[in-house]
Amino acid sequence: MKKQTSYQRKKAASGGRRRKVLPAIFCVLSLFLMILPLEGAVASIKTLLSYIFIPQIRAAHETVEYSKEVSSTIQELLDVHRENEMLKEQLREIQLERDQAREVFLENERLSASLGLQAPLKWRGVWARIAYREPSQWNSVVIDKGAADGIQERSAAIAQQNGKSVLAGVVVEVAENTAKVLLVQDEDFSAVVYATPCGDEGLLTGAGSSLLKMQYLPLFSKVQPGESVYTSAASSVFPAGIFVGNITEIEQGDGFRSSLMARVEPAVTAASMQELFILTREQSK
Amino acid sequence: MNTLLKLIGFFIAATLIHWGLISVSGSWGLSVNFMLVFAAVICVFVKPEYGYPTAFLCGLFLDFFGVRLFGHQALIFTLCASIVYCLENRLDLDSPVPQLIFIFLLEAAAAVGNLILLKLFTGLSAWNGLLPFVGGLILSTLAAPFVFWAVRRAFTYKAKTY
Repeated sequence: MKKQTSYQRKKAASGGRRRKVLPAIFCVLSLFLMILPLEGAVASIKTLLSYIFIPQIRAAHETVEYSKEVSSTIQELLDVHRENEMLKEQLREIQLERDQAREVFLENERLSASLGLQAPLKWRGVWARIAYREPSQWNSVVIDKGAADGIQERSAAIAQQNGKSVLAGVVVEVAENTAKVLLVQDEDFSAVVYATPCGDEGLLTGAGSSLLKMQYLPLFSKVQPGESVYTSAASSVFPAGIFVGNITEIEQGDGFRSSLMARVEPAVTAASMQELFILTREQSK
Repeated sequence: MNTLLKLIGFFIAATLIHWGLISVSGSWGLSVNFMLVFAAVICVFVKPEYGYPTAFLCGLFLDFFGVRLFGHQALIFTLCASIVYCLENRLDLDSPVPQLIFIFLLEAAAAVGNLILLKLFTGLSAWNGLLPFVGGLILSTLAAPFVFWAVRRAFTYKAKTY
């Protein structure tokens, strides 16, 4: 067996001492810190430590936040991918329906021509985003398209709600690149509409509230709550057949009891509108 | 010098991981103590003159966030480092299973020690229930083999010869 030199023995002994002295020092230091008042000395020590720890805590926090953002971005990408697949499927179905509709439209044109009726024209227009809402009342909105895109005053504005085209309002002011749309809820809005299945026509006006008014319904009309309301061919502004909403209640129309009035719940609310399809007037009627 | 630089790098990485783990596990109500795993593993691989200050500093890092008592984590971490240095020659921590068992027991002892110290010095109970306690222990323990692997790569056994 190899004999230890005196240097090796000393080194081993000092290593053993370190094993006992170091923990003792740190334990005493810890106990000392524990009995110090939290407000005075400890607060000063914490302030000192903050210079060491705060930068890495900040870095750690930013790393965690960044990784959270990355995970949410990945989740968004996955959602977008799934949504994209779903939309592709819907697009294929819509293309099929469009082909069928084209055939029906052509047939309708032929039949209308043979009967001497004016066939309805295709809806043509531009999609516009809502750029600004009136903060005090949401009865009008400003869109990001204007005269430069073919929009004119009294053009019909249509919104999409649950895959259905619904009446949103009418263009009342046009600038070069913007236009103001008066929504159906506004009291100045009016349109000739009819209720189905009863088929009676009335004048739709805004009421300034969430419900619309369908006035001047015939006194003996058989209109019932729940019936759907569409724009009529008699309207000078709106093409026929745009869905407006559903009737919620029937009231006596005026003091003379000469007509009925129906309350109509609009299919689209001002808050839910994001984009509008503005019909260019030459082709809308 | 090389060991010191590596320790600083590992300490910063450990604080980042600890913060990340508590951010995630906090929402599940678990209390993870990754710093103790790091300190214990460091003590397995480096000399006491590096191991004890590292453990003490890791404890201070946790004390820094405390509001009731200051220094108890540093004490617990120092005692854990002592346990590691006392048992290092009697344990074989080369494979993951002994590593997991050792760290689990150490974490449990540290958690109980913390509860006792808080009760003694402040009179308050930090007991949040069995599920957060055990869940936090398990989650911290699961990190141990990875920490052992990383620290072993940086600090070989040669660093412990003295």
